[in-house]
Amino acid sequence: MRKFLILFVVSFFSLTSVVSAEVDFSGKTITWVVPFKEGGGTSRFSRFIEPFLTKYLPGNPTIKIMHIPGGGAIKGSNYFQKNAKPDGTYIFGCSTSVIVNVATGNPLVKYNLSSYKPVLLLPQNTHWFTRSDLIDEAHDISKLQKRKLVLYGLKTPASADLFHIWVFDKIGIKGAKPIPGLSSSGAWQAFQRGEIHLNSQGAAKYIKNVKPQIEKGKILDIMTLGLVDANGNISRNPLAPNAPTFAEMYEKVNSKKLSGDDLEAFYSIAAAWSQASKSMLLPENTPDDIVKVYRDAAKKMVNDPDFKAKATKVLGPYPLTVGEEAGAIIKKAAIFSENTKKQLNKVLKKHKFTYRVK
Amino acid sequence: MEQFVSAFFQLFELTHLLFLFGGTLLGLIVGILPGLGGTSGLALVLPFVYSLEPSYALAMMIGVLAPTTTSDTFPAVLMGIPGTAGSQATVMDGFPLSKKGMAARALSAAFCSSLMGGVFGALILSISIYYAIPIIMAFGFGEQFLLIILALLMVGALTGENFIKGVTACILGLIIGSIGSAPITGDLRFTFGTLYLVEGVPIVIVGLGLFALPEIVGLLDSKGAIAKALKNEEGWFRGIKDVFKNWFLVLRCSSIGCIVGALPGLGGTVVDWIAYSHLKQTSKDTSNIGKGDVRGVIAPESANNAKEGGALIPTLLFGIPGSGNKVLLLGGFILIGIEPGLEMVTTHLDLTYLMIWSLAIANILGAGLCIGFASHISKLTLVRYYILAPVMIVLIFFATFNINRDWYDFIGLLGFGLIGITFKAFGWSRPALLIGFFLSTKVELLSYQTQAVYGLTFLTRPVSIILIVLCFGTILLLLRQKFKQSYTSSALKNKKNQIYYVLILLVLPILMISLISSLDYRASLFPISLCVVSILLLTIIFFVKIIDYNNHHLLKYSFVKFVNMNIYEQNSGFNNQFFYYLSFIGYLIMNYIVGFPIASVIFINAFIIFHDKRDYKISIIISFVLLVILWFLSYMLTLQFPNGLIGLLIDMPWWLGGEFN
Repeated sequence: MRKFLILFVVSFFSLTSVVSAEVDFSGKTITWVVPFKEGGGTSRFSRFIEPFLTKYLPGNPTIKIMHIPGGGAIKGSNYFQKNAKPDGTYIFGCSTSVIVNVATGNPLVKYNLSSYKPVLLLPQNTHWFTRSDLIDEAHDISKLQKRKLVLYGLKTPASADLFHIWVFDKIGIKGAKPIPGLSSSGAWQAFQRGEIHLNSQGAAKYIKNVKPQIEKGKILDIMTLGLVDANGNISRNPLAPNAPTFAEMYEKVNSKKLSGDDLEAFYSIAAAWSQASKSMLLPENTPDDIVKVYRDAAKKMVNDPDFKAKATKVLGPYPLTVGEEAGAIIKKAAIFSENTKKQLNKVLKKHKFTYRVK
Repeated sequence: MEQFVSAFFQLFELTHLLFLFGGTLLGLIVGILPGLGGTSGLALVLPFVYSLEPSYALAMMIGVLAPTTTSDTFPAVLMGIPGTAGSQATVMDGFPLSKKGMAARALSAAFCSSLMGGVFGALILSISIYYAIPIIMAFGFGEQFLLIILALLMVGALTGENFIKGVTACILGLIIGSIGSAPITGDLRFTFGTLYLVEGVPIVIVGLGLFALPEIVGLLDSKGAIAKALKNEEGWFRGIKDVFKNWFLVLRCSSIGCIVGALPGLGGTVVDWIAYSHLKQTSKDTSNIGKGDVRGVIAPESANNAKEGGALIPTLLFGIPGSGNKVLLLGGFILIGIEPGLEMVTTHLDLTYLMIWSLAIANILGAGLCIGFASHISKLTLVRYYILAPVMIVLIFFATFNINRDWYDFIGLLGFGLIGITFKAFGWSRPALLIGFFLSTKVELLSYQTQAVYGLTFLTRPVSIILIVLCFGTILLLLRQKFKQSYTSSALKNKKNQIYYVLILLVLPILMISLISSLDYRASLFPISLCVVSILLLTIIFFVKIIDYNNHHLLKYSFVKFVNMNIYEQNSGFNNQFFYYLSFIGYLIMNYIVGFPIASVIFINAFIIFHDKRDYKISIIISFVLLVILWFLSYMLTLQFPNGLIGLLIDMPWWLGGEFN
């Protein structure tokens, strides 16, 4: 009897190990939780990826996108933490705001983002610009630094817009004053009406709205955030190759290289804001073989000619990050060091915000 | 011009028309279902348009959007429930007409004026594409701020029987709307540590709670069916004739709809009330308005459909959504690779015209279908209300859950339901509360933004001056008009309750002040100043009520006389309504225990059989037909049913509330 039992147990385990060695999703439905509304950037990202993922995952599973907006993306993220099974049937659609909630220590966050398993990251980049009557020539901010009042839009200090406060502080725009409660499109409109002086946009809006006005001479570039690679090298944004990166501007203004605490803060900000702008993750404790299957599928997807043809148009010009490298970026973005937090709180205090990063 | 014509021919290709027709049908259906609307309809279509060719997708999306403001008239007129936020004003006169047995007249007048308004809106859109840019650019923070204040004052003053009570309701709405994270500092106000209140209760829930639930319990209380019989034949042509007789009103309200719709962020909930108040101000004979005047249907309906055309102006040109459904429309544009902006009038001009043509045709199609099917749908009014009511409640619960899949939304629904029932019973304006709630964040932000950019100098900008003059002019006009009305003091039984209710209302601002006064001034200034004003107004109302109650000699003074006008609500029946309200709580608890599908079957059957045992066959059939429809919807749209506690013990299949996998 005992022998029989042992045999049974052994055969059971060997059987399961055979099954897990070959991950197969045929006939299964995968739930992709997006903690935002339909039609938003993360929703768009997920919808674009979805058919390719179905194509390259073993067994071609059906992927269902589930939007759970609310609470500044916290509701959907907490839902994912609570309900996602780590068996490959749940995917998380993450964006900068989801990361910033964690990085800034929002007490309502119940999701353990830094131990999720990233599959794919989509970078974005920020372009700063101003009206052509406010500065003498593109990339020269000396006039703005002297100006008493430089207004710009800020959604809330509890969002990624917090980074603007830090950025303007570091490049010496002393008169910078945020106009609160302006979404990105609201700020762009106010900028066009001449009510605010500084504005920033991501790549898509930059090409669509800002570039034509630059060509007309109404708007001048200031700088871009710059692209950070795996080794920490900062390079210029290919969409505005003449514009300096934040690091270059910092060096010009402060007459020293971006280094020390400031560089550390910049890396964290760039990871959250730019490198992991949109991402696709698997829940914590997902077995390695399943993560590998997903990452392999993502690699095949990125090389799909059809994907390549459409991706630049829909997702932007920046290459996607796949695999292990992505994990390090998410960790950097989600866990701010004490120094970085202190820096951010210092500028918050300086601009009389009561909000603090925890 | 060439593109204008070529877009027309493109639209008349068979596939285009099919997509437009499909979208229109869907829009009609979601408009009829209370609580759903263009936003839900679009949310429903978005997953499918991604793979379509842009022009087909556009036709379909516009098809969904255009007729919802036409077909939402059905629930507004027949049941007194606004099908979407845009038909709240239609209820004011449409529903009394239907109670008088003139539903067909109200409906045909509404559809006809919707059609006119819609086509007018499309026309204005096609013209204004060229001229809109400078106008919108002229509306900075200050102008937007003034415009909202104007809207709030008008709504507060006009939707209530009593001027002060109306304005107070508006301010209470603003206070409730300020619950959640403060937009400037991120401080949490009045959230009691819950995540749910951080973003505030969703507007759809507030609308359902404030309007749908009170109307349903009110009707249940009045017992029996709404209308005894329909005079179909006669009503149809009368309604259409009414519209043509009032062609100038249609034109004026359509223009108002276009203009208000074009202003970013304002559209939606406000435009029908503005048109309604315009009617009240400009007509010589206002005695019947609010009691079943057909003009009270024509005015909001023509404005509310014309608004769609107007609202597309900022949506197309700047990518600025004016309302919830425009947010989704923009989302759809981006999905199919169309970016709003200047290109819409340059390189994508053909698509813009295609949208305009689709809008016009979908309006005609929608109104045509509505008139064609109206005689069938209007028979709903003959159904005994205790049969219809539980079905409506089940639909409302289904809609509620699928907004966020959040159980707290039910608490929000029932909470606002209670507010709605008491507001209705004690004569406080629910629309004013809703609009205050909706605009609260915007008002707060704009006040800070205006201050930061302009200080007080915004008041001297030309558009501002025009708005201020308009604002004061309106109010003066209103006060004069109200003052002319004669006041009749009546002997009411529930005066005491109404006095107590004022005291209950006082609790909110006092509690709010005590809880948030410790916050940073940028987080507390706005709600606290509102609280102070509301306490002041409530105290005035309280004392005037007492004066009236004791028939004090102060009543002779004209100010007191003015405030006292209609300060008491005549209708009562709160107790019975509250009893029905409790049954909804019972239904919620059932949901929580056994899950939505089973709870709904039990609820519908129990509710109907409780009223009349002989109806058991009907109740069984209805409950299962409804389930099948909901299963279909849920399967098609991957909507989920609320899953009860029982689901934790037994693995439920999805059609009983389990997970989809």
